[in-house]
Amino acid sequence: MGELTMNETTWAAGSAAIRVDGLSRCYGDIRALDAVDLTLDRGITGLLGPNGAGKTTLLSILATVNEPDAGNVSIFGLNPKDQAERVQIRRRLGFLPQELGYHRHFTVAGFLDYVAILKEIVDHRRRAEEVARVLAAVGMERFGRRRIRSLSGGFRQRLAIAQALLGSPQLLILDEPTAGLDTEQRLRFRELLSNLPDDPVIVLSTHQVDDIAAICPKVVVVLDGRIPFTGTPAALADTAAGHVWTAEQRDPRARMSWRDGENRWRHIGEHRPADYQSATPTLEDGYLLLSHAARTR
Amino acid sequence: MTPRPARARATLRLAQIEAALLTRSILVLAGLVVSGILVWFSTYRGQPLWWNDAWVIGYGQTVISLTVLIAAQLATARVRRDGLAELYKSFPSSVGRRTLAHLIGVLGAALGCLVLIGAATSVFELRDAVGTPDLTVLTGGVVLVLAGGAIGVAIGTRFPHPLAGVLGAFVWFIPFSQSNRFNSAIVWLFPWVKPPQLSQLPGPLSGYPPALAHTVELAAIAALAGTVALAISADARRPRVALLGGAAAALAAIVVACAVQLQPIPTRDLDHLVGEAANTGSAQHCATPAATPASVRYCLYPGFGSRLSSLQGPVNAVLAQIPDQRTRTLTISQTSGLTLDDPTLTHGHSPQQVTAWTTQLANAPANLPSSSAIYVNLGTWPAQGQANVRFDLALATADWAVGLPTNVGARTSLQSNRCMPLEQARDAIAIWLTSQATHAKLTLLRNTTRSVSGYMPVQVDGVTVLAWVYPGQDATVVTLGTQTTAAGYLLATAMATLPTQRVAAVLAAGWDTWTSGLATGTQLAAALGITMPAVPTGLVGPGGRTITPQPGTVPSQPQCPT
Repeated sequence: MGELTMNETTWAAGSAAIRVDGLSRCYGDIRALDAVDLTLDRGITGLLGPNGAGKTTLLSILATVNEPDAGNVSIFGLNPKDQAERVQIRRRLGFLPQELGYHRHFTVAGFLDYVAILKEIVDHRRRAEEVARVLAAVGMERFGRRRIRSLSGGFRQRLAIAQALLGSPQLLILDEPTAGLDTEQRLRFRELLSNLPDDPVIVLSTHQVDDIAAICPKVVVVLDGRIPFTGTPAALADTAAGHVWTAEQRDPRARMSWRDGENRWRHIGEHRPADYQSATPTLEDGYLLLSHAARTR
Repeated sequence: MTPRPARARATLRLAQIEAALLTRSILVLAGLVVSGILVWFSTYRGQPLWWNDAWVIGYGQTVISLTVLIAAQLATARVRRDGLAELYKSFPSSVGRRTLAHLIGVLGAALGCLVLIGAATSVFELRDAVGTPDLTVLTGGVVLVLAGGAIGVAIGTRFPHPLAGVLGAFVWFIPFSQSNRFNSAIVWLFPWVKPPQLSQLPGPLSGYPPALAHTVELAAIAALAGTVALAISADARRPRVALLGGAAAALAAIVVACAVQLQPIPTRDLDHLVGEAANTGSAQHCATPAATPASVRYCLYPGFGSRLSSLQGPVNAVLAQIPDQRTRTLTISQTSGLTLDDPTLTHGHSPQQVTAWTTQLANAPANLPSSSAIYVNLGTWPAQGQANVRFDLALATADWAVGLPTNVGARTSLQSNRCMPLEQARDAIAIWLTSQATHAKLTLLRNTTRSVSGYMPVQVDGVTVLAWVYPGQDATVVTLGTQTTAAGYLLATAMATLPTQRVAAVLAAGWDTWTSGLATGTQLAAALGITMPAVPTGLVGPGGRTITPQPGTVPSQPQCPT
């Protein structure tokens, strides 16, 4: 999208694509982020956490639309506090906020064209190609002339994803992108992210643990404004090793229990009964155990 | 980095899109239509005069200015209103650049203005408008719209609620609606006013209204609103300070432009205007076309020469039916209804000077009684409903032909000064000549006489009689002369049923007698072999009900001298 700056050249030589040090953000008395440290590299990173944990605040700071109260952020070696460098970051950014509205009177292609201009894609032909490319990527090739107001919620979400993909951004920040998508579309979305060229940095916040397990080599858990876990999905699942078991009856000592597909009770908890039948922990088990532990701390 | 030209191109492309959206906005299109209707209804009755009508076009654009304000506010606040502010903040194009694009996009509304101006110009030119359009005035109207748009953008950058634009338009409209409360030159400072005397000017008058300074004022208002909008949306201190400097410069321009507008019109210009309006000196160009049965002198203001033939039509048609009158001269002259009780015209001049001008106007020939001159009011000829106004002019000519007064010559209490030719045959002759000249079917005019508005009770020498109010009388094309009587109308209607040659022969045989004022309608009827029609004793109202005029409620008018 442009020439490399000195900072980017420095960044390209090594180090993490995104570095966050001691990041804090408060809204009144609520501490949304509490001295968060984080490094992110190319590839897809999944962000897991309950509602209100601070995921959206973290993503909005990374997307340069929100400013931290304390701490430093470096994105491709650029400092978003500096106005000129912030613009440089934005030129490499694709962002999908959590709750995105829409311009009722715009057509699908008209809206994407408008966004492409805002992303400084000024060449008319290139813009038209970009609009066609992202529409194809989300399976909306034939919807270009449709008014956005006439689209269903699922298609509007696809359009929201499409706008984030405009300009082939090097940093893609997606806050709950699969909300409202049906199963097939979620799978297509996984395929889409997996096939993006140039291996961009993708930060994906979602409540769909399946999505993270399926496509994210790295997962970050955000709880109460802190990051208690950073690692692979397998490592997060492993944190629950020995704390998941199945039984014929419901175990009242378990933290959480539910019937599985074989009509047996699946339990998660610290206190394993003597007659338990150990189960292989999943990513979801690890996340649930971690979040529960954080709540009881 | 993206090179500056590319960023500028992005901003311009955004501006293009915003301009297209604004142009296609239902609000703006509706404003355009209403503006067109307003211009049409403000001008169709009169004769197109560019020095008046260019200003009226601007007046019509008041509506577009209001709708563009609302549409611009809605467009600017669209991102926040639609819940996209967070997403848009993540784009490299800043809020300031988007605001700039919205401001440039307001130029799209100028396209609508140009369509309106183009359409109005075509109509005026088709109607043979006098003078030439003043580009400064037309530009002022466009700038008025742009100012509304810039104010809308400024409101939208700060207040996203849709009603903010409506409220802003209401506030912007207050000066338009309240300007009539101010009876001084201060009304020029309001966004747009319709000067009352403009249509009475024989030609453009520099400083009335002060178009250039007013256009500068509007442009400065637009610039002020634009800089405020950019300052609100700027994301850094330095450009904000620079923009506030620009706002201060715009404010200074507004102050200077206002001061210029409050300057009085130079004495020599008003001297010239009053001289023209009073028809003194060589204010009008006079011509006496040959080949008419009477000597007719037409005096028109400069620029109105092309109207001569349209005036000659009804006049010659009347004169063609009468015996040779070359020893008498009829003057048909334009007159201006200019009054000096408009302080926007005379502000800054001493009361003594204004009194002197007023006296000069009062002594104008059009304000003196005459039986040899017909005065055509400026800006009314030709006008809508031409059949009526042609009838009006033809009747005035016929009055002159039969020796009746053609001008009562006073600007006040005109109706009460009009004489009535009671029991005079020439009254019916004038009406008959007019009907022959204009091919007006008097029998059709009879329909109007069946209503109260067709007849008017008048007291002459203590006796209540009925006057006939003909359809063109209210057109005020010609200054008031003789008041036609119901008896004259009824006799003329009866005459119209006879063969034209027979009536013409009777009239020609005793023209001097019939037009002396001594011959009565009854005598004329007898000479024509018909019975004098009976005149109603009261007014016939709707439903055939007879209304008897109450004593004391009937105006008094004099008898026409013989």
